[in-house]
Amino acid sequence: MNESMKNRYLMICVIGTVVASVIAFQMIRIQHIDGAQQILAFSEDYQGVTRMIYPDRGNIYDSQGRLLAGNETSYEIGLDLNSISQPETIAGIAASILELDYAKVLGYATMTPGDGNPVYVVLDDFVSKDKIEQLVTIKEDYSKRTARGNEVLPNIDGLLWTPHSQRTYPEGTLASNILGFYSYLDRTGGIGYFGLEEAYDSQLAGTPREVYIAFDPQRLSTVEEVPPGVSLVLTIDREIQSLTEKTLDEAIDWSGAEGGTILVYNPEDGGVIAMATTPRLDPNDYWDYAELFPNPLPYNTAISQTYEPGSVFKVITMASALDSGEVDRDTRFNDPGYFNIGGATIYNWNMGGWGDVDMTECLQYSLNVCMSWLATEMGPDTFYTYLKNFGFDRKTGIDLGGENHWPLKLPGDSFWYEVDLATNSFGQGISVTPIQMAMAIGAVANDGRMMAPHLVKSMIIDGEQYNVDPVVVGTPIKAETAHILTDMLVDSLENEASNALVNGYSLAGKTGTGEIATEFGYSSSETNASFAGWGPAEDPKFLVYVWLEKPSISIWGSEVAAPVFSDLVSKLVVLMDIPPDNVRLSNDINSVGQKGQD
Amino acid sequence: MKKDLLQAYKQAPWRTQVQWVGIFLLIVVAVAAVAGLYLFISGRSAATGRRIQNLESEVAELQRQNNDLQTQLGEISSSRSLNERVESLNMRPLTPNEAIYLEVPGYIPPSGPSLAPPPSIKEERTPILLPEFTDTFIEWISSKLKADTQTLTPTEVQP
Repeated sequence: MNESMKNRYLMICVIGTVVASVIAFQMIRIQHIDGAQQILAFSEDYQGVTRMIYPDRGNIYDSQGRLLAGNETSYEIGLDLNSISQPETIAGIAASILELDYAKVLGYATMTPGDGNPVYVVLDDFVSKDKIEQLVTIKEDYSKRTARGNEVLPNIDGLLWTPHSQRTYPEGTLASNILGFYSYLDRTGGIGYFGLEEAYDSQLAGTPREVYIAFDPQRLSTVEEVPPGVSLVLTIDREIQSLTEKTLDEAIDWSGAEGGTILVYNPEDGGVIAMATTPRLDPNDYWDYAELFPNPLPYNTAISQTYEPGSVFKVITMASALDSGEVDRDTRFNDPGYFNIGGATIYNWNMGGWGDVDMTECLQYSLNVCMSWLATEMGPDTFYTYLKNFGFDRKTGIDLGGENHWPLKLPGDSFWYEVDLATNSFGQGISVTPIQMAMAIGAVANDGRMMAPHLVKSMIIDGEQYNVDPVVVGTPIKAETAHILTDMLVDSLENEASNALVNGYSLAGKTGTGEIATEFGYSSSETNASFAGWGPAEDPKFLVYVWLEKPSISIWGSEVAAPVFSDLVSKLVVLMDIPPDNVRLSNDINSVGQKGQD
Repeated sequence: MKKDLLQAYKQAPWRTQVQWVGIFLLIVVAVAAVAGLYLFISGRSAATGRRIQNLESEVAELQRQNNDLQTQLGEISSSRSLNERVESLNMRPLTPNEAIYLEVPGYIPPSGPSLAPPPSIKEERTPILLPEFTDTFIEWISSKLKADTQTLTPTEVQP
């Protein structure tokens, strides 16, 4: 190789090296300029998408596993403006099937994406599956057509439907006062209102998770599984709930009451078997709430509305007197028909005196004078200590949203007067909720043990069922006292030939007629009629509490609430498989026998 | 003479060229093999990724269908629907007087439905990889020494 060739090769090498170096330098430089960083950041948007995955809200079942609240699929309808080729066809289909405004949809469909316009437009949401099936049929029909000549085939490209979950309540209004409702129209910020939906909102909702979904196949990975929310199995029995609601509605119609509540409660474990109130909302149409529940009407009167219970409260006074040892069931009291205390005079319901009576007769004849005497014999300290032990100074803590309670007036409080000791003894001047009464009287039925009222029997968490154990709130009275009082209440009902009795079953119970306070004093014509009773008396499987507000047919609990109790219990024993006493006791069946039909 | 001797041991030019070409081709083939393998693996992983994504969509769809079917069942067997059917069949509720109760020895009433299995005992997962594959040489030596000192304590009598 001569010198000239060598120089040429050398020159080519130098030029090549310089060019390569310049290219390499430029490559490195370009990657570090501001524009490159911006482009890199911009490209992140096209590499994948970050989505918030909301788990399915947990289901709610009754005690037999029947669905009370669940989820179903509904759809969001939208337009992908980049994919639309026939805006008129889309607008026509949207108007005919989805019942949307043709001009409005056409306006969206003819928009040019970008330049301030969105790429995707939501047309409608919570569209039913039936309508989506119609759209699918049309789309398939269009895709099967074959063009003839220059014919332009119709298509609905760009019309998208995306599935998502929607809360649903297949039973409609049944048990709606217990369930509450979920504001499902707000897909990202929906929350539970009232009842179980409120009390267990965070558990039912589960934990939403943010996940990154890569478009690059190389970066694809499994999307982290988002477990559904916690499902609840209730103590409520749907059939008994349905029966209780029907009985309440019929009782309100028959008695002319303004409203009412019926509670069916298991005193042995505190489980609420049924809880009927009026009015009832269909939680599928929860937006009717404001119309159905004008302020201050509570959503669930059984836990939220306080009222003066009247004579049904005498069960608590007598339990306290017996348990404190002030009296026994054979103690006699000479009833003159009036009782003076704190400058006021207490009278019986008939304004008369009943003479020499024992403690059972005090309950049987529902004597205010006798109860006032018992309260003063105990003294305020003992009497109010018992009321606190029975839980009247606090909420029951039931697992429902919206529970309320009225503060218990105690000696020393500015609004407590000596006469309150007497009036409180027969359920006036004291306000309680029906669930407070059921819990307290449940202690008498359950050997003196007071159970925490609850509705959730078990929870299903991550596919496993966890049972909720019953909780003993306290033991306000001794078991012996509870048995004696139960016997007294059985005797008082039978001696009175009460309207509450059910043939073949031993029942214990007490009527109540509470006068309602108005701005002009207590009204004798407007009352709260109530009845609390349980059965079978010595081995209770249910406690029923009936409260009818301002009945017009009669003011007396014995004439209005007691027959409702009897009517309900006569059907309840069949649903709960409780045999009559002669069958149950003769066969010594503690549990339940098999039932057939005559 | 010296020049001639060196000349005798030098490779023929065409052999050198063949060697270079051979080395070059070997590198090309190796690079092509690695690239092909990479392409094959990445292609398969991408296809698997897409398949997983499709299966996840299928799972989500099946879950939705499951929810829909549960709701449909709930509506069909709702208290309102059943009452309508009962009335259409001219049936009425049983009264206490019409019921006959039979004693069934040993019968235990059902305590309620089981919608899911009870909580299971959580077992700790044993690692799939044995320590032999993860321990360093030093860790293996120290574990062996530790094991030996534990088995041979002074108070123990060896058989």
